[in-house]
Amino acid sequence: MSKPLLSLLATACALAQPALAHSRPVTLTAQLKSYGGDGAYLAAYLTDAKGGYVRTLWVAGGKAKYHRHLSDWSRLSAGDAKRLDGVTGASVGAGKTLKVTADLAEALIDAGYEIRIDAAAEDMRDSPSEVRIPLTKANAGKPQAGKQYIQTATFQLP
Amino acid sequence: MSWKAVHRWLGLTLGTLGVVLGVTGAMLAIDPVQQARQAPAAPADLTVATLVERVTRSVPGVEEIRRLPSGAIVVFGFAGDQPQASNVDPADGRVLGPWQASVLPRWVKNLHRSLLLGDAGRWAAAGTALAMGLLCGSALVLLLRRMGGWRRLASRVRGSLAQRIHVVAGRMVLAFLCLTSLTALTMSASTLGLVALDTRAEPDVLSVVTGQPALPGAQLPTLQRLAVQDLRKLNVPAGNDPQDTWKLATGQGQGWIDRSSGEMLAWQDATLAQRVYDLAVVLHTGEAAWPWAVVLGLVGTTVLLFWLSGIVIWWQARRLAPHITGSSPLAQADVLIFVASEGGSTWGFAQTLQDALSRGGHRVHTGALEHFRTTAATRQVFVLAATYGEGQAPAHASHVLENIARRSAGATPVTVVGFGDRQFPAFCGFADALDQALRAQGWPALLPLERIHQQSAQQFARWGMALAQELGEPLVLAHVPRLPPTTTLTLMTRQDYPGAGGGQATAILRFAWPARGLAARLRGSGLARFAAGDLVGIVPPGSAVPRYYSLASGWDDGFLEICVRQMPAGACSTHLLGLQPGEGVAAFIRPNPGFALPRTRKPVLLIGAGTGVAPLAGFIRRNDGHHPMHLYFGGRDPARDYFFGPEIQRWLGEGRLSTVQAVFSRVPGGGGYVQDALRRDAVQLRDWVTQGAIVRVCGGGAMARGVADALDEVLAPLQWSVAKLKAQERYAEDVF
Repeated sequence: MSKPLLSLLATACALAQPALAHSRPVTLTAQLKSYGGDGAYLAAYLTDAKGGYVRTLWVAGGKAKYHRHLSDWSRLSAGDAKRLDGVTGASVGAGKTLKVTADLAEALIDAGYEIRIDAAAEDMRDSPSEVRIPLTKANAGKPQAGKQYIQTATFQLP
Repeated sequence: MSWKAVHRWLGLTLGTLGVVLGVTGAMLAIDPVQQARQAPAAPADLTVATLVERVTRSVPGVEEIRRLPSGAIVVFGFAGDQPQASNVDPADGRVLGPWQASVLPRWVKNLHRSLLLGDAGRWAAAGTALAMGLLCGSALVLLLRRMGGWRRLASRVRGSLAQRIHVVAGRMVLAFLCLTSLTALTMSASTLGLVALDTRAEPDVLSVVTGQPALPGAQLPTLQRLAVQDLRKLNVPAGNDPQDTWKLATGQGQGWIDRSSGEMLAWQDATLAQRVYDLAVVLHTGEAAWPWAVVLGLVGTTVLLFWLSGIVIWWQARRLAPHITGSSPLAQADVLIFVASEGGSTWGFAQTLQDALSRGGHRVHTGALEHFRTTAATRQVFVLAATYGEGQAPAHASHVLENIARRSAGATPVTVVGFGDRQFPAFCGFADALDQALRAQGWPALLPLERIHQQSAQQFARWGMALAQELGEPLVLAHVPRLPPTTTLTLMTRQDYPGAGGGQATAILRFAWPARGLAARLRGSGLARFAAGDLVGIVPPGSAVPRYYSLASGWDDGFLEICVRQMPAGACSTHLLGLQPGEGVAAFIRPNPGFALPRTRKPVLLIGAGTGVAPLAGFIRRNDGHHPMHLYFGGRDPARDYFFGPEIQRWLGEGRLSTVQAVFSRVPGGGGYVQDALRRDAVQLRDWVTQGAIVRVCGGGAMARGVADALDEVLAPLQWSVAKLKAQERYAEDVF
C-alpha cells in the first residue's frame, strides 16, 4: 500500500476513534536547554508504527515563514490542511518549558505510535525529530533527552 | 499637505523610532565585519565534493555544512551528545574555532526588528521603515527644490550648520537610506505573513535501499560539479538511516540526493519571492560583503544625525515664522495683500505696504497666497511673490497657478510684485507666471509687474511712488528690512589707495570675526559661513539700512576682506574708511548663490573694474587646484587704483591665475577699458568659450553693459551670446 494512503487511513482511524472509544488527555512537557538563542520553534506530532504522520499535537511559533525549519513535521504533515487548527502558540524561550495537553484515543497507546518533536531556532541548526518518545504506558512520566534544544521531554497519562 | 509638512511631521514623530532602528542597525553591521575577520572565504575553484571530503576528515559526525553569505564555512555536528558549530578553513578542512551567529547580545537584533515588543513591534518597525521610505521620497523632492534641480544637486549648500549637515548628509546617504527602507519592507512583508516565500511542500523522497554501501560525499556527481561559492547548505544523511538523503540548498533552489546511487531524487527551484527576499537580506544586512556592512553601519548612524539636525531646523523655522500685525478681517478689507514667500522676508515687505495703506485710511487684509480670493468689499489686490530655485513657487503656494486658472476673473485690479535675484536665469519666474495667469484670466492690474532685485528697499520705495500716483493718494513705502542678527567684525589691517581721477579714496579692509560655540553654529547664529562673491551687509552706527559689499575672501581664508570706495556723502563708506585696526563694525552675511563659482575644471573668465575686482580676487585666492583662471581688470591709473596688484602678481607666480590683462583708462597707452581688452583678445575668448568657459563680471552697471556688448560682438561668429551663456548658468554679474 502506498504511504500517503496508509497515512490517510491512519488519520481517518485516529480521528474516528474518539467518537467510538474512550479518549484521554495526554499532557506533554518539554523543558528547553539554555541554548543561548532566540525563542525556539517546536512542533509536536504523532506518527504511527510505520513512521507515517497521524496528527499535529502542538506547534510553538506562529510565523509560517519559519515552519519549514521544522523540517520532518513540515514534510510529513504537508497533506494535512488543518494541521495548525487550534494547536498553535508562541515560540518557547531558551530555558523555558512548554506544557500542552492533547486528547488522544485510548487505542493509540501501546499500539506502535510515537510522539515526535521537531525544533529549530534562528541562526542555529534545525533539529528535526529532536525527540521521539514511543507512546506506551511504560514511557509515561519518563523524561527523554533531546538532541540539541530540549533538556527533557515527558508525557503524562492521567 | 505639502512635502515639507509631510517630511517635517514624519521626521519628528516616526523619525524617533527611525533613530532606534538606525542606531541598532549600525550596531548590527559589526557582525559581518567580525565574521569576515574570523573566517576565510572559500577559494573560487573549490568544489563542494572536495570540501565535504576535507570536512569529514577533520570533523567527525558532521550533520550540516553551511556556507555563510560572507563565504565562511560553518560545520555543525555532535561531539558525543554535545551539538557543535565550528568555523572551518575551506582550504584544508581545519577547525578554526567555535562559531557564533553574532557577537552582539540578542536584544540588539530584537530591538532592531521588533522593538522588543513581539509581533506588535514588528508591525511598528515595518511602519517605521515605511515612514523612512516616505521621508526619503519627500527629502528628494525638497532637496531638488532647494538646490534648484538635478544639475545643481552637487553645488554648495547654504544655511545654518544644522541645515548644512541635514542637506549635505542627505545628499550623500539618501539613496542608501531609501534602499534600506525598501529592503526592510521586503523582509517585513514575509515575516508578517503578507507574502509567502514558498508554499510548496518538500517532496517526500527517500534513498533507495540497495544493499550497496552509501557513497561518500566526495563521490556524488552533483557535489563534484558544484562550486562552494554556490552552496548555501548541505545536510549529510544520518549514519543510522539507510533511507535518509543528502539535502542540498543553493541560491537556485534545493535538492535531495540518494545516498547510495548519488542521483538527484528531487529538485525545487527557488521561488521568485524567495530570490527577491534573499537579495533584500543581503542588501539590508551587508552579510555578504563586509565593506557594504560598513557603509550600512555609517548610514544607520546618520539617522541620528538627521533627527537631531532636523529638530534644530524645525525649532529655527518656528522662531522665524512670519508675523503680520494689524491685518483687518478679510470680509471688511478694501485692500487685500497676498504673500508667497519661502524664507519669510517677503512678509516684511507686505507689512510695510499694509502699514502704509492703513495710514492712508484703507482697511487692509494680509494673508498667504494660497488663500487668494476677493470679496464684495475688495477694491485693490496686491500679490507679493518670491521665487524659489529655478522659477518655482514657494512650497506653500505651489497650487496657486491652477487655482487661478480655475477661477473666473473679477473686475478688481490685481497687481503683482515679484521678489528675486537677477543672477538666476528665472529671475522672478514665479511672479512672471502668476502675472501671466492673472492676465490670461482677464484680471485687470493697477500697475505692470514689478520685479524687485535682492530685496531692494530702494526699488520697493520707487514702486511705492508709482503706486501713490495711480491711487491718487500720498503713500510712502519706507521699507526697513528686518535685519538678520549682526556680528561685530574687528578690523585687522587696511590697505589704502588714494583713488584716481575724482580722487575718491579706497581701501581694502581685512576683518576678523569672533569665534562661536557649537550651539551657535547649529542654530546658525553668529556670523554665517561665507565664500568669495557672497555679500557682507554692513550696518553703520545710527542707521537701520545696511550696505552690501562683495567679499574678497572666504570663510576658509580665516579673514573677511572687502574693498570699499568712498561714496559722495556715503554714511557707510565714510564710517568704514574711518575705521582703525582694532575697531569694530556690525555686519551679517548675505549669500549670493547665483554669483558663486561652481567647482569646475573649465576655464574661468573673470572680468572686473575698480573695486569690482574684489570677489574675483577671492575666487583666485581659493584656486588651490590651479584651474585655468583668466582675469581682465580695468582701472584708471596703475599707480592709484590697481587694487590687489601685488597679490595678482603673486597669484600668477603661484599658478592660481593663468593670465591677467590689466588696462587703465586714464593713462596714455593704458589700454583703455576692459571692453577694449576683450575685443582685442577676441580669438582667445572664443577659444575659452568653446571650451566651456564660465564668466563672472563685477563692477558698475555701465561697465557690465559694456562688457556684455563687447562679448556679444566677440562671440557672434560662434553663434554664441551672453544670453545663451546666462541660460546655461555660465555667466553671472555682480553689479553695484
